[in-house]
Amino acid sequence: MESEHLLELVDIEAGYGRAALVLRGLTVRVPPATIVCLVGPNGAGKSTVLKVASGMLVPRSGRVVVQGKDVAGDGPQQMLRHGLAHVLQGHSVFPEMTVAENIKLGGFTVGDKAVLNERIERVKTVFPIVAERWNDLAGLLSGGQQKQVEFARSLMISPKVVLLDEPSMGLDPKTTATVFEQVVRMRDHGTAVLLVEQNARRALETADVGCVLDLGRVHISGPARELLEDPELSRLYLGGRPAA
Amino acid sequence: MRNDSDLQATGRWAGLRRSPQRMTGLTLVVVVAVFALVFPMTTSTGYLLSTGVVILNYALLATGWNFMGGFTGYISLGHAAYFGLGCYTTAILIDRVELSWWLALALTPVIVGLIAVPIGIAALRVRGASFVIVTIAFVLILLLVSQSWVSLTGGSTGIMIPRPFDGLTRVEHHRVFYYIFVAALVLALFVWWRIDRSRFGMGLKAVREDEDKARALGVPTFWAKLIAFVWSAVFTSLAGGLYALWFGDLDPVFQFSILMGAYMVLMALLGGVRELYGPVVGAIVVGLSIEFFKAEFGDTQFHLVATGLLLAVVVLFMPEGVIPAVRGLFTRFGPQASSIREETAEQLAARQDAVGATTPGSES
Repeated sequence: MESEHLLELVDIEAGYGRAALVLRGLTVRVPPATIVCLVGPNGAGKSTVLKVASGMLVPRSGRVVVQGKDVAGDGPQQMLRHGLAHVLQGHSVFPEMTVAENIKLGGFTVGDKAVLNERIERVKTVFPIVAERWNDLAGLLSGGQQKQVEFARSLMISPKVVLLDEPSMGLDPKTTATVFEQVVRMRDHGTAVLLVEQNARRALETADVGCVLDLGRVHISGPARELLEDPELSRLYLGGRPAA
Repeated sequence: MRNDSDLQATGRWAGLRRSPQRMTGLTLVVVVAVFALVFPMTTSTGYLLSTGVVILNYALLATGWNFMGGFTGYISLGHAAYFGLGCYTTAILIDRVELSWWLALALTPVIVGLIAVPIGIAALRVRGASFVIVTIAFVLILLLVSQSWVSLTGGSTGIMIPRPFDGLTRVEHHRVFYYIFVAALVLALFVWWRIDRSRFGMGLKAVREDEDKARALGVPTFWAKLIAFVWSAVFTSLAGGLYALWFGDLDPVFQFSILMGAYMVLMALLGGVRELYGPVVGAIVVGLSIEFFKAEFGDTQFHLVATGLLLAVVVLFMPEGVIPAVRGLFTRFGPQASSIREETAEQLAARQDAVGATTPGSES
């Protein structure tokens, strides 16, 4: 039976090496064309969730289900083929390579040249900065522009779900606003987004569904707006400021 | 209607016409190539010809090294292992197996390439300083093996290879090998150039920039590195095989020398590891400086000191290599690009049409 969710992480237990578990029975579900946001304190395991979903970290137990198929244990290449694109924390462009090369690298697993060219044209439309700075070294772009190149690159595999790890890291408030606009734009173009963000309030304002992580499991989840308006949650996880 | 490839081709040639820097670079390459081809015909001095062969050998070795170092950023100080393996494989195939020289030479890169596969699988599991140490260890192991396995390698005495072309004078011998080395170098440069422009090459460059990011994008980093490693061993061993045929006398201490591996790294770094011709330029600088200092100071350790000083000066002032430094000078003192974008009449009309179509009320 086809699942109504594009991505499901079910009862995931994962950790690094022989160290203690970071994720302890975590379950997260990502429906189509939805922004699901993971927030929580440092060490809650937010980035680890994305690493498990992208195949960079193999879970010790649990299921990683993409459109009804359990793909737990598959590596990054297979996960890309399953339609999961991971945008890493910080600036993940290759600064010494051109914007063109960065974008083409996003489609490294796409074999068909015609499909690749078609997707290049598409991301140029969605992110005009890509077309404008096509032949420039990516390292010469501003932080916000680099982030847009990363988003564009993630769309090159025409992903079902984009895994975004702290997209606002190191960006000024204005650029952060632009970046979140682009996240919404991706969702509006039909791509689901699993977003991990330290700026919890800003992320929940952008997301459709929110999950609060604590000690490696989902503490509470629900519509992002409701989480934002919950005074107890606001006190515990959003800096104590009551929702506007 | 023009297709994409037409546009790309047009753009490429248009770029060439517009860029005096690229034209200068191309002119320089043509001049050096013509000089390199004409040089052996203009001299009958054995010393000059043999110096030319040595520099070409260096250029082939450094270009071979650059398949690994340039594309992936993995610094191997032990590439002398593949040079030595190339030398000994050719020599053993001729002297022990009694194959013809050309068959031995053709089989050498294949055999060494196959040997490089398990070595690469083991060495590429580590990165950075650990990788450097593993590569050095492999040279030392091969040195011990070549010195100890007397029945196969001749031990410390080495091995002699008969000259492949009978009846040639020493000068003619150098001249023939000069052109063979040129052909091998052109082949290596062509393969490097093809990889540089391929999707595979792009994946390799991503590994050089950041291996983890490349992996996250689906680049099969381990296999990409392994293929680059094997190509690198193939061309380095080809240089070794040709050297064995040219020089005719192998000594394990020289063939498996750490210094030779260090020279390969220095030559590639000197010219610029990200450049097609970088290792060739580095080989010319290092080869000529070694010969000059040997002539000036004799065959003592002093020529090594003088060469080292020269290299230190170049690395200090041209850390990216000679080619990027010269290109930087062109950019600095050459004509600056205009901020005004050139547009053809067709492009202008098309843009005006597009603006007209999207402007409210333009239809009226």
